[in-house]
Amino acid sequence: MKINYLILFILPLMWSCSNDDSAEYVDVPLELKVPSNFPPLTYNIAQNPPTEKGFELGKKIFYDGRLSSDGTISCGFCHIQQNAFTHHGHTVSHGVNNASGTRNSPSIQNMAFQTQFMWDGAADNLDFQPVIPLISTIEMNGNFGNIIAMMKADPNYVKLFGQAFPNKQINTENMFKALSQFMVMNISANSRFDKYRRNESGGTLTADELAGYSVFNAKCATCHTTDMFTDNSFRNNGLAVNPLVNDIGRYRLTQLPQDYYKFKVPSLRNVELTAPYMHDGRFGTLDAVLNHYSNAVVNSATLDSVLNQNGALGIPLSTTEKSQIIAFLKTLTDYQYITDTRFSE
Amino acid sequence: MKNILKKSIAVVAIAITLVSCSKSDDAITGTGALKVEFENGFADNALVLGSATVPTSQNEVLKISSVKYIVSNIVLTKEDGTTFTYPKDQSYFIVDEATPSSLLLNLTNVPAANYKSIKFGIGVDQAQYDLGQTGIANFWTDAQNAGMTWSWASGFKFLAFEGTFTSSTVTTDTSFMIHTGKTGTDYNYTEVSLNLPTNALVRTNITPQIHLSTDLSQIIDGTNKINLTAHNGMGMGAMIMGGADLPLITANLAAMFSVEHVHNDSN
Repeated sequence: MKINYLILFILPLMWSCSNDDSAEYVDVPLELKVPSNFPPLTYNIAQNPPTEKGFELGKKIFYDGRLSSDGTISCGFCHIQQNAFTHHGHTVSHGVNNASGTRNSPSIQNMAFQTQFMWDGAADNLDFQPVIPLISTIEMNGNFGNIIAMMKADPNYVKLFGQAFPNKQINTENMFKALSQFMVMNISANSRFDKYRRNESGGTLTADELAGYSVFNAKCATCHTTDMFTDNSFRNNGLAVNPLVNDIGRYRLTQLPQDYYKFKVPSLRNVELTAPYMHDGRFGTLDAVLNHYSNAVVNSATLDSVLNQNGALGIPLSTTEKSQIIAFLKTLTDYQYITDTRFSE
Repeated sequence: MKNILKKSIAVVAIAITLVSCSKSDDAITGTGALKVEFENGFADNALVLGSATVPTSQNEVLKISSVKYIVSNIVLTKEDGTTFTYPKDQSYFIVDEATPSSLLLNLTNVPAANYKSIKFGIGVDQAQYDLGQTGIANFWTDAQNAGMTWSWASGFKFLAFEGTFTSSTVTTDTSFMIHTGKTGTDYNYTEVSLNLPTNALVRTNITPQIHLSTDLSQIIDGTNKINLTAHNGMGMGAMIMGGADLPLITANLAAMFSVEHVHNDSN
């Protein structure tokens, strides 16, 4: 009898203990919807399923300049949402201590659907991509030891890491996973073109835009394939080599002669917003880009064969075709995406 | 009858006692530690950073300023052929000639057993890389502090071998740098398997030490012969961080290590 009373006395205590535990925040998985007109997801979501707090933590890290050696350069410094996460107005991007890079910031939209990152493919796994700008001495010049120490001293980080990851650890593994979650969810799929492709309301293209789409398919879609508008390949598109920089492109990574001056075929989503263009931002307008392809392609040993048809360099484009292509490209602008507060600082 | 029963019980009891005694003598239980020591050399000589090596078969003389490599994925094979895999995410070490403490790896929580061979990787293997950040765990900080992160080919330098060289046509000290790692075309991870001349007897009270010798000349002068002079075509030094020769260098690494001896000293 005595024992029974004891149990009755202890049981409520146990309940109240477990009640305390369940009062703790439980993270919520985020659903990743693959738009029906997109190619398949390439990111291994099972290894790092996005959650509400993982995403929130990733966003905080993305916009935190304290990751850089002088406390000023965040990821978001060169990847600005209103320009589809590129560095508008900068031919090449700036890093810490006013250092200047040699390449134009690529967009970080729709990364979970691509297989190659950076202009030369230095990363082919999204989880590893942020390492490059983070530790590059001319970009963020960050030090992992200092970054982790900074986060451990910041109560907001302590709270978010604790909520986002079961082991609650503030470490590089969880930091990069959170960044990946932010990027994986960073999807632009609601341009007028997308709605046209999915037969959704608002998906009407004008006659000019449709004509541009068909010229594009005939003359540009060899490389800018799928609704992602890239085949993830590396090609020399016949840009004159700037002797001051002599950016050798993918050769830097492979040291194979056939890779000289090859750069990644970029996605064209939101291309209206991402000027300047090319790996070094040399073209300020889409007109200039098309003029390059029609008139200014330079031959070299590694020039892409599609730009050299029996000695005829470039892509023949009439003035009308160019304006139609540009009209079409502007249908790829996703206004919902560039103002989506989920991604905003 | 009673007597026989009593006797047989006694015999059985004694037998059980004997068996249990001999068992407790033989059974190897618990966990212990194991140390793996790397001693870097060049051909038959000890490595002295900054001093001229003996000439290679290509008649090139090196002055090595720095050599570092990532040792990973350590697997120990027991006498009976079963294996113990050191936890992969704790199995990243950077051996750096300039940091004496890094030349001795301390493996802990190793099941007590008689180990006859050791296998390890040079670099971060592709299976781990494909797991993304899960596979790397928290190796970044150590790797960055050791200068083994690779900011322009994502991830890590697996081996960094640097210094100057001379040859019959390159008469002044000219720099060379060999960095292996994942490039755009090749993964460049390699594994080394070594049989131990004496079993390593890991016990709760014995910490064996496997003493490995590393012949750095094998990097460029192994099965595959790499001519640094040929890589100095522009006169800017021999910089090998990709290209067709990097997989050949990687292949050479597997033969770079040998077991000098094994100590089985009590703690």
